[in-house]
Amino acid sequence: MASQFRGSTVVVALASAVISVLVTVAVVTRTSNRFSQADAPPRTADGKPDFSGIWQALNEAHWDLEAHEARPGAVMQQGVYPYEYARVPAAPVLALGAAAGVPGSVGVVGDDGKIPYKPEAAKIKTENGEHWIDRDPELKCYLPGIPRAMYMPYPFQIVQSANKIQVAFAFSTAARTIHLDDVEGPPDLTYMGHSAGRWDSDTLVVDVTEFNGRNWFDRAGNYHSEALHLTERFTPISKDAIQYEVTIEDPNVFTRPWKISMPLYRRLEPNAQLLEYRCMEFAEEFMYGGLRKQPLVHHWEGETLIVDIKRKAIERDKLHDWYRR
Amino acid sequence: MSRTLFQVLGVAAVLLLVVLLLQFARAPLDAEAPAAGASPATAWGEPDLQGIWTRTTNEPLQRPARFKDREFLTDEERAEFNNKISDIVGRESDENRRPRGTEQDVSGGYSAAVFTSHLPVGRRTSMIVDPPDGRIPALTAQEQNKRNDLREYAFALLQATDVCKNKLLACTGWKYGPPSARRAQVPPSYIMEGIVGGGGGGINRSDGPEDRILSERCLSSSLPDFGGFRRIVQSKGQVAIFYDVGQGQGWQRIIPISASPHLPATVRLWWGDSRGRWEGNTLVVDVTNFSPKSNFQGAHENLHLVERWTRTDAETLQYTVTIEDATVWTGPWTVTLDLKKQDDKANRIYTEPRCHEGNYGLATMLAGAREDERAFVAGRGPDPATKCLAGCGGFAGGFAEEGDDANPIR
Repeated sequence: MASQFRGSTVVVALASAVISVLVTVAVVTRTSNRFSQADAPPRTADGKPDFSGIWQALNEAHWDLEAHEARPGAVMQQGVYPYEYARVPAAPVLALGAAAGVPGSVGVVGDDGKIPYKPEAAKIKTENGEHWIDRDPELKCYLPGIPRAMYMPYPFQIVQSANKIQVAFAFSTAARTIHLDDVEGPPDLTYMGHSAGRWDSDTLVVDVTEFNGRNWFDRAGNYHSEALHLTERFTPISKDAIQYEVTIEDPNVFTRPWKISMPLYRRLEPNAQLLEYRCMEFAEEFMYGGLRKQPLVHHWEGETLIVDIKRKAIERDKLHDWYRR
Repeated sequence: MSRTLFQVLGVAAVLLLVVLLLQFARAPLDAEAPAAGASPATAWGEPDLQGIWTRTTNEPLQRPARFKDREFLTDEERAEFNNKISDIVGRESDENRRPRGTEQDVSGGYSAAVFTSHLPVGRRTSMIVDPPDGRIPALTAQEQNKRNDLREYAFALLQATDVCKNKLLACTGWKYGPPSARRAQVPPSYIMEGIVGGGGGGINRSDGPEDRILSERCLSSSLPDFGGFRRIVQSKGQVAIFYDVGQGQGWQRIIPISASPHLPATVRLWWGDSRGRWEGNTLVVDVTNFSPKSNFQGAHENLHLVERWTRTDAETLQYTVTIEDATVWTGPWTVTLDLKKQDDKANRIYTEPRCHEGNYGLATMLAGAREDERAFVAGRGPDPATKCLAGCGGFAGGFAEEGDDANPIR
């Protein structure tokens, strides 16, 4: 009796081991062989990767898609030493000190890392950069467009259903619907484009068209026309990261299609929540301040805002111990 | 066959059964078990509210006094009202009906009816279903005093204009007089719209963007909202709603299905902070943390909403919201709307064109006010204080304020 009981225990253990292996194999096969169980991306009820959640890019692409070194100011002027590399911050950002600099980046552009502008378009890009404050739609809180909205320094939230994927951006409360079903397009060209998605195995592929050509890619003045056609590819690389790759075509501006690629990261704070950034209000002074009866900034000349920086300098003897006061 | 093998097979079968049962059990467990019932459910077991939804009939927010305790109109009454509204829209093509040569002609008194789409008249005599009289509860004494202060300021800015000179409806309760010194004062509230003149008019001044009403600044759209279209998209534990409202002033919210507490009271939001839960087939949403800049019927940061979204049939999504703000009203009140499902393929919900990217209106109204001031100083124009820029009355919601062209269901 005792030995028989022991024997059956061993067999039961073996049987359950076999079953658990079978079950594990079934689960792993159903998800993907590339991921360990713990790191497997979540899946929807119909077995697709589930991108629902709050995400954010963590890079410097919003400053400049191309590789660049750090700069002392988002707006600069020639320094006392007349070298290009010795420029200093200019008035619009001077009062912000080191917080107004631009961080460096290895860039997110594929191949040789260069955006293949046509010669005349390259000139416009350079001018855009020189007139960043006047020309960048971001500063006016305009809808940021795609792909720019995907890598701005603000979170966005994905709500993924079977036929629609809704994307809510914090910046300017911009919205995007990726249609996985067949729908009619927009009645006119748009800032955010028309997104038609499909699944290619575990990759969500989105064709984006119907742009109005008024958006930029970044704060460096990289731009496109209304002929822009994007092919985005969203591929899970872990449960908390998506590889985001975009093929960019615009025969009006570029000599050939080019690519950007970057990871998007899940916001892992347990209380993560998308908060509104309704910046049209924040841009009112910037856009309409010169039309006030009594302007807050006193150096408006017609439509030109002339920024005059007033900041009390630290007394010399307190330069290094101001915090002890 | 040995007894041991039988035992092994038996145990293995039981284990297999347990594994299978666990797999089946997983979906309802994860979904926190909302009863499926007759309503459609998503693949993950939550009630399915998805699609494009809009009202297809129009009801007044508050019940007109003449209907007293009557909650519903007869079909004959509805047909009669629809005919009257159709007549008003038709008459508006008649040039003679315009108050030509007046400020009203260029500031809202023109034939606004033809620019306003009218939905067929609905069954209910009011959107408000509670209190039973279909009316917004009385204001608190504190709120009544505050509104009197706001009205006095708004009227002071209007008193030197033709609106008061000609004793138009918007000046009811005030008198024509010289330009007021109050024009130089900061308004008594950040939100000064809907105080005088009807139709959401603001104050008669354009010193800067803040003087203009939120919709002119592309900052309108508030919660709760009873018009326009909504697109609802769901994933497990998240409900996204995009509101296509207010001529390009659409907005979106993502309601977390979560028992977590609201944001800290220091965080204030234009559309509040939403927390959702499922009660059977109903999405129940608690909304707090509104901003002092947000405005719903004069309620601001103390507004508290409890919304209930329920599929009542394949084509209908019922939206019920209980509204309370003890600083503004003497009691809570509840509105119910039936939203009807729209064609997904036609996809007629627009996030663009958006108000802000094309807001020439705000810039030109401010520029116009500055030009008026320069002209007055140069002796080329009237005192700007005598011109009516806002709060002048006129058409609201496509109807005249009084007379034959007023809303027949008022």
